[in-house]
Amino acid sequence: MIGPLGWGIFLGFFVIFIFLGFYGARWRRGDLNQLHEWALAGRRLGTFLAWFLVGADLYTAYTFVAVPSGVFASGALYFYAVPYVATVFALAAVTMPALWRWSRLRNYVTAADFVQERFNSKLLAGFVAATGIVAEFPYIALQIVGMQAVLTVMLLGVVKNVKLVSDIALTISFIILAAFVYTSGLRGATLTAVFKDALIFLGVIAILVAVPFAIHGGFSAAFNAATLKALPTGVSTLKDPYFITYTTLWIGSSLALYLYPHSVNGALSAESDKKLAMSTALLPIYGIALALLAMYGILIYGSPEAMKILSLFPASARGSLVIPTLAVTTLPEWLAALALLGVFVGGLVPAAIMAMAQANLLIRNVVKPIYPRITPQGETRAAKWSSVIFKFLALGFVFIVPATYAIWLQLLGGIIITQTLPAVFLGLVTNKFDKYSLMTGWAVGLGLGIYLFITPHKPSAMSPLYPIAGHLVFIAIIALAVNLLIVLVGTGIAMAVKRGMS
Amino acid sequence: MTTEASKNIHTWRKVVAGILFIIPWIYYTLLPLYNTVQPELGGVPYFYWSQTLWLLISSILFVIGVILLYPSKR
Repeated sequence: MIGPLGWGIFLGFFVIFIFLGFYGARWRRGDLNQLHEWALAGRRLGTFLAWFLVGADLYTAYTFVAVPSGVFASGALYFYAVPYVATVFALAAVTMPALWRWSRLRNYVTAADFVQERFNSKLLAGFVAATGIVAEFPYIALQIVGMQAVLTVMLLGVVKNVKLVSDIALTISFIILAAFVYTSGLRGATLTAVFKDALIFLGVIAILVAVPFAIHGGFSAAFNAATLKALPTGVSTLKDPYFITYTTLWIGSSLALYLYPHSVNGALSAESDKKLAMSTALLPIYGIALALLAMYGILIYGSPEAMKILSLFPASARGSLVIPTLAVTTLPEWLAALALLGVFVGGLVPAAIMAMAQANLLIRNVVKPIYPRITPQGETRAAKWSSVIFKFLALGFVFIVPATYAIWLQLLGGIIITQTLPAVFLGLVTNKFDKYSLMTGWAVGLGLGIYLFITPHKPSAMSPLYPIAGHLVFIAIIALAVNLLIVLVGTGIAMAVKRGMS
Repeated sequence: MTTEASKNIHTWRKVVAGILFIIPWIYYTLLPLYNTVQPELGGVPYFYWSQTLWLLISSILFVIGVILLYPSKR
């Protein structure tokens, strides 16, 4: 377990992380009273930095906690995250440079800015912005759950009341985070992102190298041990009934990711459309770390020592502790401390960017249309303060909602955000869609998605999956299909009516 | 400006890039093809390592696609 040496290294490197966060304000200096300077780092990131920033932004506690946790508890189904990251960047390499070109030309900061002009509707833009703000909350909450997992493993055996101490530590970390995001904006997030990635890669590779020494029999022993546990969706391969579930989960997640405001924020900070496209094309390589982390959800079954630690916790809490536990049981203490810090700041950095993206949407697409006389400086100040408030709202959310639900809620976030696809992605291709049909499609898709999510059915009361003809289907796909149908039919009717009148 | 620049890109470049971007989407939907245990690699079933390998293949395809779409621009 982690002793004084490990704690010293963890805290020492955390101080470096904080320094980088504040130093960001001085790095590539710009007027931080301008929203695009604060929120988009002045749109000056090259291929390399954009790769790190977007990578750090998209590979989050979802990667380190939710996916390994899912593989650990359910088996092969959760490997859907791999096709998801392989395909999402093809979509992004086509859509994001196009959005980037529009944004540079017209000074857009959010996707809702684009929707507003494209379809000439502040109301539709407001809906897109509100969807982004809401969908982001559970995603930030998930980051905090990841950070809690690290603290839980580190505090085990050190203090009596682990929950209380970890809550205090989290609150302090969030105060520091809010302070440096306020002063440095996306610049701070970018510098800390490179630092974070270095730690993550170090941890992932170190565990891979340590496997033959630390786990007797390596991966084959682990797969055999996991097979004995009969994970519900299969261990070595995916069980037949889950084929459609697997496919709809990765397609739905893939369609959703670049609709999230934090992804758009990262993409718009690139220096040119070509550099953005190139860094996006290289991101699946970053996903290899995700694939390994997912497999570590199986690997842990091969380590009796790690399983013993997990058995100290209730079954529902074990999944999120997989990676931190594997780090402390397979790695030397100093290396384990660095890996744990990687997972910890791996939650902080994305949480920072997500709260910034929420703040941009609130100020640009909700507040500004209501108070059009706001000055650019006032706009930036309001965005800075809103990003602080959003962070603490998410923190409060985690203290109230149990961790198990936070991961379900992240998939609910996916169901919600996917309903903005017709306005944003299809808007890049055409402006022919009727804005009222887009609004109706959005509202019905959203309502249907939430209704199916909360409707009780097997196998669990609240689930992102809904059974259709005996197959569990990701609700985001069902709701999006209905949404698209309404947009197409509605636009057809609107065109026919216009033609009839003229 | 940029919208005109994108018009100058030959259609064949767009078509080939489009195909390259779509290949991983098609591959991953053919789940029964890779949902097998054998051949194993270092104790890891084919289901896991082949999908991981396709991350690398996807990246190579996408990079070629991007080079096709942005031939001369900085």
